[in-house]
This record gives sequence, structure tokens and C-alpha cells, in this order.
Amino acid sequence: MESTFAHHLSEAAVSVELETEGMTLNIGPQHPSTHGVLRLVATVDGERATNVRPVIGYMHRGYEKLSEVRTYPQIITIINRIDWVSGFANEVPFVVAAERLMGVEAPPRAQWIRLVLTEMARISSHLVFMASYPLELGAATPLFFALRERERVLDLLESVTGGRFHPNFNRLGGVKPVYAAGPTTKKAGMDIPSGFLAETRDAMTKVLATCDEIENLVAGNEVFLARTKDVGIMPVDVAASYGVSGPNLRASGAGFDLRKVSDYLPYSEFDFDIPVGRNGDCWDRWWVRLEEIRQSCRIITQAIDGLPSSPLQAKVPRIIKVPAGETYVRAENPKGEMGYHLVSLGGLGPYRLKIRSASFSNLSILPWILEEALVPDFIAIMGSLDFVLGDVDR
Amino acid sequence: MTASPSENSASETAAAIEEFADRVAGAVGGRAEVSHGTVKVRVAPSSWKEALTVASGDLGLVFLSWLSAIDWTNEVAVGDEPDEPVEERYELLCAVSDLSDGNLAIISTDLSHDSPSIASVADVYPGANWHEREAAEMFGIDFVGHPDLTKLYLPDSFEGYPLRKGFPLLSREVKPWPGKVDVEDMPENGTGPSTENPGA
Repeated sequence: MESTFAHHLSEAAVSVELETEGMTLNIGPQHPSTHGVLRLVATVDGERATNVRPVIGYMHRGYEKLSEVRTYPQIITIINRIDWVSGFANEVPFVVAAERLMGVEAPPRAQWIRLVLTEMARISSHLVFMASYPLELGAATPLFFALRERERVLDLLESVTGGRFHPNFNRLGGVKPVYAAGPTTKKAGMDIPSGFLAETRDAMTKVLATCDEIENLVAGNEVFLARTKDVGIMPVDVAASYGVSGPNLRASGAGFDLRKVSDYLPYSEFDFDIPVGRNGDCWDRWWVRLEEIRQSCRIITQAIDGLPSSPLQAKVPRIIKVPAGETYVRAENPKGEMGYHLVSLGGLGPYRLKIRSASFSNLSILPWILEEALVPDFIAIMGSLDFVLGDVDR
Repeated sequence: MTASPSENSASETAAAIEEFADRVAGAVGGRAEVSHGTVKVRVAPSSWKEALTVASGDLGLVFLSWLSAIDWTNEVAVGDEPDEPVEERYELLCAVSDLSDGNLAIISTDLSHDSPSIASVADVYPGANWHEREAAEMFGIDFVGHPDLTKLYLPDSFEGYPLRKGFPLLSREVKPWPGKVDVEDMPENGTGPSTENPGA
């Protein structure tokens, strides 16, 4: 057709420059793969994007302002809701930051329980990814395997904290000394529920078995490979300059994990590996998370074997005023680096609390990574970044 | 890695942090402060961009953690007022880190309340693009040279700068903050009850 048209043009001796015009494609804000409300305004030339502009803020709740009118214990409740897929992990860097200003350290048993529950949050967060990512690419089966195991882990979290998503379990100077699912009359006997350790050991075996099942289901799937291999490649230097962290950064080849270089929890006493990807494509980001589930199971198994004995709470005043000072504490959360820059003037609440959330920076690379990408790859690339809009908008 | 935290390793860590702080301060021409393990290097506003360029290059602090600001003021609409008068200013902070030892430095500079304006570092750290948009809409700081300083979270028609201390929180205007209660000293300072005896 085109050649005939061009032929006619040349016959008619008309010189016309045939141009294509970019089309604007709006995606969202309500799209199942956006894990919340994210809108993309993409300019496309045929199947290829020339420019992508993410529009965020639909879930902005203003936690940084709210923190200025809340007391420290109240803030623990609201920051649960930042990344709701791993609520427990949100609490830890905040309480550690406040404890550092107070000069208080949580007793060893409390720190180990924090560590176990943080790793459980990591497993449950990564299992959501294991469920939703293949689903977004058209494979529904892994969802049932992954969510079955996630339920097992959430049940364990609930048995200790009383909450599945929003545990609100950390206290300044330790962890909550009571639990919902048991007798609460005698203070002396209060601890994690009896049977928790045995159930956890059993659950970790099952999670590991399911990891193998998921790997068998997904890793050899030709369609999945075609959709993810060499798609959405993110070089490590670009990722770092955008502040991309966590599994997304490690998939690009950086063996950087705050659990290995920071001391917010006693990870130095544990033996675990950091899975690192080679190409920084969607496939590597999926694989790194699968391996991280296995490593988290390793950590939890070691922790419940050697759980130290101590009180669950250091001595702190009943109403807490944090001494004046400022510090930044960051933690390796399931989605990447989460940190709190806490500025206190000695009051009941912070003067300023800057919340550094992982998904915000992980998402900020979208304009770069989606440029020149094919529109059908959008979902594959966005899904592989594993963001939660609550963590982006804060 | 297997050694449990002891006084020895704690002082070694503290010395390493001091050494890192001095190295950064020397390279960017600023003044180092270490507070609770966090390194902060203060620079002049005029050398803000240059300092971050050096940090991302020679110092190898290639990872942009975050960029934000603090409104230091004595007149606050929400929250607690400073007990002692503070110097009125916006403090702009940018946290950058390496990807090997986990060293993190917060580069900081002071901007005047009257005309908070600073050179954008979006071309040094591309990730600063969104952080600067957030700081611009929340604090009213102008980032000169930013490619697209539009609102990030807030609607385009929004007026005011919510994270400024003078910006009121509507619910607090309607009802005063109920969290003001008597406060006890820390245990070492007094004899106040601990959590063991919650005043029952």
C-alpha cells in the first residue's frame, strides 16, 4: 500500500514528507498492576514510548506533617501504613532512631524478635510479588502457591503481634510485652506465644518447599522468560543515581545490603547470603526476590534456634520525651532502603521527621526505564519494580 | 562479622565514622558534625551543587538516599515550639551514600526564610528531580535549573507550603492537641514509674 502511495506521489511530482505524530496514552490511575493509584502519561510512537511521565500523589496522606503533631508511640501506629505489605518492617528504623536519641537499647530478645518478624514481613512482601508478578504477565497458578504460604507467615505474625498487616508491635526500648492470643493476666509469663518457635520452624520448611514449586512453575516457562529476559534493563550506576535500592539494585549487580553493613538489628550474628543479579532485567529482579525468601528462611531458622533470654522491654519512662538531637537510621526493608531522619527538640513528638521510603525512589526511575520501551512491556517493567503506592505517596 | 558488639568494636566504629566525616568535609569544603552515628557536613549555599558533584564523583557517594528540608523557626502553628530560640532558616539536606561500606553523609546548607533559592542538583543525581519537586511544593524552595519544577504530590491549584511550620493543620485548629500531659523524667534523672508500674 505504502509503496503504491509513494509511487503515486512521485508520479504526481509532489514532495510530501510523511510524518508520524506522537500519541498520548493515559494509563491509570486505576489499573490493577499499579498496586494502588498511579497514573502514567505516555507519549508513544507506534508501539514504542518516547516519553513517560508518572503522576503520583493520589494517596498522599501527609505523614511527615502528621508526625509533627503526634507523640512517638502514636507515630509507630501511623507509619505502619506507609508500606502496608510489610508493615512491621516500617516500624523498626523509626524506633531505632528514637532509641538512639534516648540512649536506650532494646534488650537482646526484643531485638531478635524484631529481626524474626522483619524477615517474616520480607517473606510475606516478596510472596505478594511472587503471586502478583506472574499474574500480571498472564500466569495465574503461582498466585495460589504464593498466597497460601503468605497466609501461613501472616498467621505467625498475627499470633505474636495481634495484627496481620499493621502489627504496631514495636515500643521505644523493646517490643510490646503482651500478646493478643494468650493469657494477659500475669505479667511475668508474658512472652511470644508458646508453640510459636515450633510452628515457625515448620512453616519455614513449607515456605522453602513452595519456593521450589514456584521456581519449577515459573522459571522454565517460555512465555515468562520471553516477557522478562533482557526487558527493562537497569545499569547499576543509573539505578544508584536515582536512589533505587533493595532487590531492584541488587538485581543490577550491586551486592549492597544494609543488613550486612548497618547495625540497626543484630544481623551480624547471622549467616546468610546476598543474592545478586547479572543483567538488571525483569528476570533478575524476579529471581533475586525468590532467593531472598530462601535467605530469610535461613535467618529465621537460625534466630529461633538461638533466641536469647532477656526482658522484652528496656526501662523507659511512661510518657516518653526524646532528648534533643537528630539522627538518620535506615534499614533494609523488603522494598529497599527505608529510613527516618528524626529531629527532636526534646518534646513529646518530633520537630521534623523525614520519611525516606524505598518505593518513592524505585518509582522515580520509571521515566528513564520506560523511555524507548514497548507499550506491552510497560506492565512487565512496572511490576518487576515491586512498588506500593502507599510507600510512594506517604 | 561474627564478633558481637563490644566496647572495642564500638569505639572502632566511632573512629571510622569520624574519619569518614573528616574526609567528606575536607573534600567538599564544609564543616563536619557527627550526631548519634549520623554524619552531617555543612556547606555554604554557593557551593551546594559543587559539593554534591564532588560527593558523587571523587568521594564515590554514588547513591542518592534522599533530599529534603527542615523549617527552623520560632513561630510554629503545629507541634512544639523550640524551647530556645533557633536561627530562622530553611535547612536543606541531601543524604548520599556509597554502595560498599554503607557510609552515608548528609550534606546540608542553610537558606534564608525570605528567598529560599538554590541550584538544582537534578543533573548530578537524576533521582533528586522528584525530591526537589517535593521540597519545592512542601517548603517553597526554588531550585534554579530544575527541568520541571511542577507540583509532585499536591494538586496544581494548591496554595501554601504544607511542611512549613507556619502552615496550620486544620484538625488542630478545630480542637487543641490532646496529647499535652505531664511528663516524667528519664529513669536515671528521677524516680518516676517505669512501664513496670503503669500508674495503676
